[in-house]
Amino acid sequence: MMAPPVRTSARPFRDLYYVRLATTGLSFMLFGVGGVLLGVVVVPLLLAVPGSGAARRTRVRRMIRIAFRFFIGFAHHSGAISYSFSGAERLGRPGQLIIANHPSLIDIVLLIAFTPDAGCVVKREALRNPALVIGVSAAGYVPNAPTDLMIERATTLLTAGECLIMFPEGTRTVPDRAVHFHRGAASVALRAASVVTPVFIRVEPPSLFKSIPWYRIADPRSHFSLRVGRDIDPAAFRHGPPPIASRAFNEHLAAIYAVEAAAN
Amino acid sequence: MHDRDAILGELRATLVELFELDPARITPDAQLYEDLEIDSIDAIDLMDRLRRQTGRKIDSGRFRSVRTVSDLVDTIHQLVNET
Repeated sequence: MMAPPVRTSARPFRDLYYVRLATTGLSFMLFGVGGVLLGVVVVPLLLAVPGSGAARRTRVRRMIRIAFRFFIGFAHHSGAISYSFSGAERLGRPGQLIIANHPSLIDIVLLIAFTPDAGCVVKREALRNPALVIGVSAAGYVPNAPTDLMIERATTLLTAGECLIMFPEGTRTVPDRAVHFHRGAASVALRAASVVTPVFIRVEPPSLFKSIPWYRIADPRSHFSLRVGRDIDPAAFRHGPPPIASRAFNEHLAAIYAVEAAAN
Repeated sequence: MHDRDAILGELRATLVELFELDPARITPDAQLYEDLEIDSIDAIDLMDRLRRQTGRKIDSGRFRSVRTVSDLVDTIHQLVNET
């Protein structure tokens, strides 16, 4: 399993390569073991404290945010990754839909770690992952399928004034392939978002991408840069028949990301 | 809107308005997804509209088995004739 990465040059590995390989492995273990423990021990305790459904959800989300902050801190200080996040203070507003491109495995972890009381749309597979299932359900995260239920739940959540994170690409993007935005996020935005805020994620050099196994770590270490872009007002697109409007809005969003990608 | 022809007529008008389709393409045999390019997100917008038009809550599970325009007409027909 610990196959050395493909070498493209004869130079020695840089930047504490083997230390980082070990701490990357440790980070994965921490996530898996931590997720199961928090799900089995902490979530039931949090749910046992009296309160409304919303209060319980907020409590679980706060715990997840603290756990993810800790996890990111571990990955960062142990040298597995480095990261920067600019504009995070503009995340977490009522009715805000946060969208982001999705290059890596930990995009959602970074976003949740820095967004107060956020809901998010997660892959349905998250409900089959033992480290995630209990937390995901208790936090009221929204599975991405079936589509009609996803739209309904996401709309309800935003209408109630919560903040929601979605990846319009749906799944991690394979590098060098044209980006395709699914219309779900645009449709949800037009139905219920008070504001849409784009986050641009860049990972350089690439790691934790879809096509890269976790142990093929970057050399030197990957830097995850997250930048919160300018707010987009969905109201400008709320006219005409909804299917036409959501297509136009989706193209608008995809174009914003295309401009960002071309600038890099 | 109780017989199938009337339903088809109204549905055609709705589809033309919502999706800017050429009415000639909306035949009973037309496949919603393959022929008319109405995807799962569109289907939700369409369901919202039908809900308002018929005043009935359409169960999404029932809608998922709809493939053609005539399937949809049948579903609406059943719906409006339910008591």
